[in-house]
Amino acid sequence: MTQALVDRHDVELAALAAAGGRREFGELVRRHGSAVRALLRRMGAQPSLADDIAQDAFIQAFQRCGEFRGEGTFAAWVKRIAARLYIKRVAKEARYTAEVEQEDVAPAADQAGLMDLDEALKSLSEPERLCVSLCHGAGMAHPEIASALNLPLGTVKSHVKRGLDKLRARLQPEPAQPLGRTQHVG
Amino acid sequence: MSADEFDPFVERLFARTPAMPDAPLFTAQVEQRLQKGSRIRFLALALAGLGGGAVAVRETMTVDLDLGAREGVVAGDALGQGIQSASLNVQSTIQGGLDQVGLSNLELGSMGGMQLFWIAAAALIALAAAGVMKLSQEV
Repeated sequence: MTQALVDRHDVELAALAAAGGRREFGELVRRHGSAVRALLRRMGAQPSLADDIAQDAFIQAFQRCGEFRGEGTFAAWVKRIAARLYIKRVAKEARYTAEVEQEDVAPAADQAGLMDLDEALKSLSEPERLCVSLCHGAGMAHPEIASALNLPLGTVKSHVKRGLDKLRARLQPEPAQPLGRTQHVG
Repeated sequence: MSADEFDPFVERLFARTPAMPDAPLFTAQVEQRLQKGSRIRFLALALAGLGGGAVAVRETMTVDLDLGAREGVVAGDALGQGIQSASLNVQSTIQGGLDQVGLSNLELGSMGGMQLFWIAAAALIALAAAGVMKLSQEV
């Protein structure tokens, strides 16, 4: 009996997709489409652009499926493809080809004290947001980001550090209180 | 939370996938693009194959396919003669090859010329089909 697609592992599906299995690849898109789209949005892409690039990334992944050896996760592999496609796109617009110094976005008041990542990322400048997303979302190393963005390594490190500092301030406003714990009043 | 603890914490946050209500639509769009790409590739390969096949047949048979019948030859006759001569060529070539490998006793003459021609043509088509399959998997 044929094993159901939902029961198959990503590596197995990727191998079948590499042999031309579009249905198997469709299952991979169903599993990881949202993650790739979310990463691109977190990198700063507008939703429609993020979706276009995510589609391109999956098409490219299908064509290159034979290259996926299962050394990392399939999602991480597609995310890197998507991230590189997005970088190419923004490089065309020359938004990150030189060191960009821009005014930090003023963080909105956060009465609840906790914010989700997507909201917190909005408080970062565009280069910071991109570098942090590439580093922690797409799993790219600093030199890899520097090379892809055509930025000096020190600048990338600086963007990542400042971005993380801002995220920490936004996501962890009260250091004494551990994240995820509910404060009991009474 | 220290920086060492915060880095993996951020990575975990990035790994969390927000629910997207239009996820099925996105999947359908990708599948549609894959199907479209596959159709275009199939058509391109089929056209290339037909074009290449026509050229190959023309070159092999050295038949003037100009149906304008400049010399008054009926196209069907010309094609028949071409196939006949091509099959004889194929037969003599194969026989020569067999002679070289010491199988001269194997008489191909017992097979009809047309039969040999079609066997060779079928082998070539199978080879081409295998190549196309391989190419379509790699593209």
